[in-house]
Amino acid sequence: MEEKFDCIIVGGGIAGLSAALMLAKADVRFLLIERGEFCGAKNVSGGVLWGTDLSRLVPNYWKEDGGYERYVNHRRLTFMDEQSAFSLDFKSSHFDVPPYGGVTVLRARFDDWLAGKVQEAIDASAAADESLVATDILVEEILKEGGRVIGIRAGDERFYADCVILAEGVNNLLTRQIGLHESYVPADHVAVGVKEVIRFDRSVLEDRFQLGERSGLTNEFVGFASGGVEGGGFLYTNIDSISIGLVLGMTDLREKKHKPYDILNAFKAHPALTSMLRGGETLEYSAHVVSVGDLRGMPREIYADGVMVAGEAAGLLLNAGKAIQGMDYAMRSGILAAETVVAAKAKGDFSEDILKNYRTALENSYVLKDMRAFQDAVHLLHNPQMFGPVPNLICDFGRQFFSIGNDPTPKAGRMVRTAIKRHSSYWDLVKLGVKAARVL
Amino acid sequence: MKKLTIAARLGLVNYRNQGRSRAAAHIEVDTGICNDACPHKCTTYMCPANCYTLDEMEQVHFQFEDCIECGTCLYACDQGAVSWHYPDPERGRGVNWSLG
Repeated sequence: MEEKFDCIIVGGGIAGLSAALMLAKADVRFLLIERGEFCGAKNVSGGVLWGTDLSRLVPNYWKEDGGYERYVNHRRLTFMDEQSAFSLDFKSSHFDVPPYGGVTVLRARFDDWLAGKVQEAIDASAAADESLVATDILVEEILKEGGRVIGIRAGDERFYADCVILAEGVNNLLTRQIGLHESYVPADHVAVGVKEVIRFDRSVLEDRFQLGERSGLTNEFVGFASGGVEGGGFLYTNIDSISIGLVLGMTDLREKKHKPYDILNAFKAHPALTSMLRGGETLEYSAHVVSVGDLRGMPREIYADGVMVAGEAAGLLLNAGKAIQGMDYAMRSGILAAETVVAAKAKGDFSEDILKNYRTALENSYVLKDMRAFQDAVHLLHNPQMFGPVPNLICDFGRQFFSIGNDPTPKAGRMVRTAIKRHSSYWDLVKLGVKAARVL
Repeated sequence: MKKLTIAARLGLVNYRNQGRSRAAAHIEVDTGICNDACPHKCTTYMCPANCYTLDEMEQVHFQFEDCIECGTCLYACDQGAVSWHYPDPERGRGVNWSLG
């Protein structure tokens, strides 16, 4: 038997690195394996990291240069038709206070920075010589003995541990390999995200989007943005760039027969966007599958004898209309998995009975509580009314309401009725409204 | 801003082992299934990196070199034609994001 660790973590994304940071602080001996050239090299997100768990992992993170791009103090939800954009806009200095409730990130930078924090924690731990982060290595197989996970294989090398944390991301091949998830996951439970990072001079960016030195805007788009396909658009401000992109329901995209990058081009050419994007230079184009937060698409279990699954590999993600939460779920699940390892090590017992506590902790946390509470909202967002008729009628009303002419002006109620008649029906909207009031 | 073609977009992507003449394929596609059995050939429009293309005879072709490992075809193909793996860091292709 070769060298044995307390824990092997597969994947140096947010779930894996968060787990690693907790383990290092608890002097646990672990091996984190990342297949990219560095942690973050394979990772894509929109992306906003919501919540404040980051400050638990890296106290005072905001005092450092690295890591995040901008904290979010300005949020906007925009309904779009072909020519118009009708926005709900909220900005508040309440959001200016560290540790901040959300930060924008670019994953190749952020994950690399977080990996640096893991290394610092390893160096300071009692297990400094026995823990490591190894990059450029692909884990091909989970090793089992008598039904229990005992380690991993990468090429000809085998590494053993008391337990393995799978934090391999949404395309969770290893989770499937050990039978915790279906070997074929149908398109219904995932979406595809496409994105460009567009650079501006920092002063241009800050003036154009009314940003402070480190404050930022998040803008989500519903309607025309997704070209009639289930989904929506996003625009997030980074330090000297924006991340702009789409999340498109995989099944609906298949049925509508559109190319994701063609829809992205049309979105970028919308009149409300062209003035935002003027003079920008695209630095990178990226794409990634993202799960949609439907519990029916989750792995059948997220732990087994000697193994736990964290982050998006466990299907932990929620888009209930207010925000896309995935990275914060990854962080919390990584933390909880690590706490379970620490407790298991203290007991000297890594059996299924003990690792079940990970599931319990996740059920008791906001992650699975919110995912369960907002399942109906997830389903509501599949309602075709949300992508065409609703944004169209909102923009129609806006156009009537904000048009000032030289004819007698109808009352707003009448404008609403006109807009509804043109784009939907009272009955459909009442049904939708009742649902929305119940689930959101 | 000028509209970007997919070729221009992919030109902005850094790939692993770009100098290598014959990288090992990490995705294998049985295009026989695409061409003989598939009712939609959806990967030819859904793939964000345009790795799946149709020729003038409406036949599906696949190349892995431009793949950005997003995973779309792993779910989009419901015909069992796609055998999907992560690229080998040393011998394979695949992305190396600068920003992500």
